[in-house]
Amino acid sequence: MDLEKKLRNIGISAHIDSGKTTLSERILFYCNKIHAIHEVRGKDGVGATMDSMELERERGITIASAATNVVWKGTPINVIDTPGHVDFTVEVERALRVLDGAILVLCSVGGVQSQSITVDRQLKRYKVPRLAFVNKCDRTGANPYRVKEQLHDKLGLNSVLMQIPIGLEEKLEGVVDLVKMKAIYFRGDSGLELVEEDIPADLVDEANEKREELLDAASMFSDELAEAYLDGRETEEMIHDAVRKGVLAREMVPVFMGSAYKNKGIQPLLDAVVRYLPAPEDIENTALDLDDNEKEIVLQSDSSKPTVALAFKLEDGQYGQLTYIRIYQGTIKKGDELYNTRAKKKFKVGRLIKMHASTMEDINEGGCGDIVALFGVDCASGDTFVSPGLNYSMTSMYVPDAVISLSIKPVDKKAADNMAKAINRFTKEDPTFRCYVDEESNETIIQGMGELHLDVYVERMKREYKAEVITGAPQVAYRETITKKATFEYTHKKQTGGSGQYGKVCGWIEPLEEDGKNYEFVNEVKGGKIPTEFIPAVDKGFQASLNKGMLIKFPVVGIKVTVNDGQSHPVDSSDMAFQLAAIGAFKEAYMKAAPEILEPIMKVAVEGPTEFQGNIFASINQRRGMIVSSVEEGALCHVDAEVPLSEMFGYSTVLRSLTQGKAEFTMEFQKYGKVPKSVSDELMKKYQEQPKK
Amino acid sequence: MNSVLTDKSPLRVLEDSLTGGMDKGKVTVIASKKGVGKTACLVHIAIEKLLAGKQVLHVSFSKRTDYIISWYEDLFAELTAGKKIDNVDELRELIMKNRVIMSFVQDGIVDQQIINSLEAMIGPGNFKADTIIIDGYNFQKAEKADLDRLKAFAEKAGVEIWISASLKSDDVIFDENDFPCELTKIKDDVDFIISLRFKEERIQVKVVKDSTNSNKEIKLFLDPKTLLIADK
Repeated sequence: MDLEKKLRNIGISAHIDSGKTTLSERILFYCNKIHAIHEVRGKDGVGATMDSMELERERGITIASAATNVVWKGTPINVIDTPGHVDFTVEVERALRVLDGAILVLCSVGGVQSQSITVDRQLKRYKVPRLAFVNKCDRTGANPYRVKEQLHDKLGLNSVLMQIPIGLEEKLEGVVDLVKMKAIYFRGDSGLELVEEDIPADLVDEANEKREELLDAASMFSDELAEAYLDGRETEEMIHDAVRKGVLAREMVPVFMGSAYKNKGIQPLLDAVVRYLPAPEDIENTALDLDDNEKEIVLQSDSSKPTVALAFKLEDGQYGQLTYIRIYQGTIKKGDELYNTRAKKKFKVGRLIKMHASTMEDINEGGCGDIVALFGVDCASGDTFVSPGLNYSMTSMYVPDAVISLSIKPVDKKAADNMAKAINRFTKEDPTFRCYVDEESNETIIQGMGELHLDVYVERMKREYKAEVITGAPQVAYRETITKKATFEYTHKKQTGGSGQYGKVCGWIEPLEEDGKNYEFVNEVKGGKIPTEFIPAVDKGFQASLNKGMLIKFPVVGIKVTVNDGQSHPVDSSDMAFQLAAIGAFKEAYMKAAPEILEPIMKVAVEGPTEFQGNIFASINQRRGMIVSSVEEGALCHVDAEVPLSEMFGYSTVLRSLTQGKAEFTMEFQKYGKVPKSVSDELMKKYQEQPKK
Repeated sequence: MNSVLTDKSPLRVLEDSLTGGMDKGKVTVIASKKGVGKTACLVHIAIEKLLAGKQVLHVSFSKRTDYIISWYEDLFAELTAGKKIDNVDELRELIMKNRVIMSFVQDGIVDQQIINSLEAMIGPGNFKADTIIIDGYNFQKAEKADLDRLKAFAEKAGVEIWISASLKSDDVIFDENDFPCELTKIKDDVDFIISLRFKEERIQVKVVKDSTNSNKEIKLFLDPKTLLIADK
């Protein structure tokens, strides 16, 4: 089978609570893979099949992305369930990397919410073609037309209705297919029976009008359709073909609708996935050739070519470590030898697995374009596996800096062992989760993208690894920088008996204007005042000084060091002496350079009923926040603000109580900003009070 | 302060001419046909106020607030381009910090709901606005009561309000004093009306209603590209 021509790798991206997990679960159901429908917040305690983790079940959200294989009318589909919360964006982005297409799920009541915007931006970044599904049309206040308009207005997408609803809210009966011009009803047990009927008389005019809009939009992508449409002889095939072209070019987003919960609209959506979303060979993927200066190489979806695959997800299953991989070029067979280009290690492919929700199937070969899992391979997520002879790496994924840290302490020896195992696993799974041991306090510090992000890992340690830990207060990742130029002239001298040490460095430090660069070293020493062989030691000394600033011991960024003079001693000068001289010089200049503290500023979006907006404004104001804008539409208001991360701890609880639980917020890292004087004084005071060990 | 940036600003000249004019509690309307540059003019006024350390609340009726933000950024960049200013970043920061955009997706009338929202921003939001800019007020639909409410709010909150009015009729008629006839019905409900007209490749700015009755004729011309006073 030419898998690369037939397969669909799709993701389901959405805002929390727009019913993404329910939709995934229904897709599995209709593809006859599972036999009973369970709800996400299951009354029967079984839970949806995609949420394999207990924790997810409890919180009602999906944390990890599991790849699941289903077959719809002969077309194999890998469904990647992506998490919805911004705190887990790396997981989302990693899943997006391996997708060829996506379904953007929107709530028919909530519409395009702050997080839909984030998710859509990510889809745009990874150039993922998409369909939109307006879910929850059975809810009070459902309005798929408005959601379609919002897709256009808020996300700038060329959204086009492919269906219109028959009845809405509790009266939702089915949809009108604007290509076929037929009414479709979902009858029988679990909506399995599709009944096609004539369009109800009261909807005919509207259906005609929306079909015209659809044809106008689709004609842009096909001359054949445009001509046929003029003569009124367009066929279904022509329309499908034109829509597919528009979707693949990422210039059109067809909008479907229904209610996953009420089993309405899923089968037509699956048809659309097969019809409009791309197969692996429709998408161009590139890798970097490590042997040729990281030159970009276009990969070919061709099973006869050497293998290139990307490990995008690690999972500790009940049977050991699973590595999910996407095969971009060639195939992978059991017993093949592969090369991990990051670790520079060869390994042999043992068991090869295909995942179906919570069951797995042993397979002998993974085809080109497919997503499969390997057993027992030692690797990190983001690694590239290739056939021996190649040395490619898939483009590195964008990994943001961690903004928050937390100290953790195991309760006993056994917990300590388990904690080490868990951390080892998590750091491999998630590049934004980092861990180190603080030299001074000897504490284990974990770092991540937000409070919830770290919370989830601490929970997972307890549940999956039985590692009870005590956590400290979350710590914001501050930075220090300088605002003025300051000179130094420092001599390091130790010449009392034995071999001495001598080095002198002169120059200045100044703020580095260039964005995105933290440190620059300029050597302007003339006439060998500092011998060339010691210059790297001077550079190293300054770099070492940057690890801990002198205000609150956080890393120093945005600094340019210029060394223009110095002195050496024919016998007593050494690398060590010049390194120490540089460290001394930095200390001398730093406090003169008007240092200040920077803190992470988060972009916060709050959404809630207009009646609570005074409370929302006040809550932001009290947190040293700056309101950028507020948009009111109907009874809802959406507030965008910039708030220091240090003020955001516990905000979800506060917001809930201020708004009777009716408002929600998301946040993501935006930039580093200067800490106001009063706060900075307090931070320095706190630092000085800390016991020095 | 920052006079390099604003010495050609239309607002400065207007305010200088109208002694005791546009101030706290006053409502000023800028009227023109579509595309003459009302929004740019309002944003200019806002930037001038911001540079003077005032706080500005920008009210719009469109969903996309990012467009408005880029208006500010573009005009600020234009103002500072080619000029030697050391603290451009600081000034930009100042503009960002003292400006809040509030958008209301409805038909362009400042109703009680919007007044409530503005009060929420000024009160609990602790944003002490000096100036409120309202872009795209729908005067065609406005009733006298709507404007009275706005005027009362301006006086109570101690803010000056600047409104842009888009003249909708296809054939906009101005009377012999450049007064847009469309606005006759609200003439007595606001303090100042300024009309913008495209004339001889420049934009003519003229105060056509002045509640202080200074009886001075105030008229100036702007460069249609930069909306600064034309050099002539």
